Amino acid sequence: MSLPSLALPGQLLGPTDKYLPGPGTHIHEQQIYASIAGPVISSPSKSHSSSTTTSSKSKLVPLLSISRPPTTTTDPGILGTGSGGGAPLLPAIDDTILGRITRLGARFATCEILVIGDTVCREAFQGQIRREDIRATEKDKIKIEESFRVGDLIRGVVISLGDQSNYYVATDRNEFGVVMARSEEGRLMYPVSWREFRDPVSGRAEGRKAAKPF
Amino acid sequence: MNTDRRRNNAPPGGTSAPVFARTIREPGYLQSLRPRRSRGPNELRRIFLQPSIIPSASGSAYLEIPTSSTPSTSTLVPPTSSLKITASVQGPKPLPRSAPFSPSLLLTTTVKFAPFATRNRRGYIRDTTERDLGVHLETALRGVIIGERWPKSGVEVVVTILEGDEDGWWGDSASEGSANGSGWGLLNVLAGCITVASAAITDAGIDCVDVITGGVAAITRNPDSRDQKDLARLLDPCPAEHKEIVAACAVAYLASRDEITEIWMKGDIGADPDALIEGATHAAVGSLAVVKDVLLEALQAKFQGQLEVKESGVKRKAGDVDMTG
Repeated sequence: MSLPSLALPGQLLGPTDKYLPGPGTHIHEQQIYASIAGPVISSPSKSHSSSTTTSSKSKLVPLLSISRPPTTTTDPGILGTGSGGGAPLLPAIDDTILGRITRLGARFATCEILVIGDTVCREAFQGQIRREDIRATEKDKIKIEESFRVGDLIRGVVISLGDQSNYYVATDRNEFGVVMARSEEGRLMYPVSWREFRDPVSGRAEGRKAAKPF
Repeated sequence: MNTDRRRNNAPPGGTSAPVFARTIREPGYLQSLRPRRSRGPNELRRIFLQPSIIPSASGSAYLEIPTSSTPSTSTLVPPTSSLKITASVQGPKPLPRSAPFSPSLLLTTTVKFAPFATRNRRGYIRDTTERDLGVHLETALRGVIIGERWPKSGVEVVVTILEGDEDGWWGDSASEGSANGSGWGLLNVLAGCITVASAAITDAGIDCVDVITGGVAAITRNPDSRDQKDLARLLDPCPAEHKEIVAACAVAYLASRDEITEIWMKGDIGADPDALIEGATHAAVGSLAVVKDVLLEALQAKFQGQLEVKESGVKRKAGDVDMTG
């Protein structure tokens, strides 16, 4: 059976013993069906070796997935972000995110997740950076107010889907932390070390958990 | 009494169709205007569907079932109403802070008649009929959405009815009072809501088990025959075209799985309700053909660039798009 190039929800794609179900598909009675509308993509992948019923030779089973519409990240929608631009996407574990710090607490900082991977979210998600997730070393000496300020743009990684309203974000690697920060006077600062940003005019240094520039 | 205190409200009771002197002078004239069903009993009205009409929504669609009868030259009142519905999907978006944890997608449906949607003017606040329709639509859609794919999120389906099917012919309501006005039009409206919401959800890219569509079948009494027992079963009834509808049934049908997620029956069904349900599923399959065609067309436009890249490398596959109803 040849695969259709475009599928609609509920369209039969193939049996589960010939294909693996990928994103945008679901299984019903040993058959893979499409669950969103879009082009069908079958990418070769190795079947897991635990299938003992067949012979020992590990055959290649293609992974069937349906791609979502390509999002143009330059187009934020007609009324700015949160108004139709961006993709319907949820944060998943190990996703790199960009976010903005919205609140500082004693034990955690709150941020809003604006970008997941390379795609702009349609709506901001609530994220939380616990104090012990800010950096990997000397976790007991971390102080929130020396790491983030409200309004900082940060890069982080999702470590847990969290509780009812927050995703848990960590910045405990070199390349994660504050990407853009403004000083108390409101000027854009530049990073000088992994824990300091400096104001270009007054020269005053402020403590931040800086992300390593690429 | 919940009236709208924030706006200048229209006079209660609404507007009525103009009565022309000729209808009173000539007793037979009014009846000569009565619309008649010109299609076959298994023939649906034509459907116009357009997805992605609201740019700010994540998915949207517009459905129109235009009036089938030709406009008469002797009167200004259109013989039958047409059905015009828009649906927009907001989300999936994160739940508000106050909401409790939900492992799957929370679906909210809102159905609203525009104030000018029916011959009797509707209010701005949702009334019981609209809330009832919303619940029916929610049960229909809940069975088709794969909610587990979207934890901690909510989605809103907002359906606005710009013009609703009437419960009967306007000439009857003027002369006989409530001859058969018991909400036959609502069944058509519900089926349209289901179809248009399904197209909008597919447009929004929310995971679904199938494309769901609505269909209506009815049992009508044949006005020509003398025999009162002479009943006719037909698909997609236009209530204005029938003097007396005995029973009607609207379903939400998943064609590829042969499942029904929602049934709404009205009237005296008789001994064999299954035949009526069966008929309604046939009507749903008929509108599914339109929905699939339209969605595929929209997809082809959306993925134009991506497909061309894919097809230039591999063999051409555009020929085997499955379009069966």
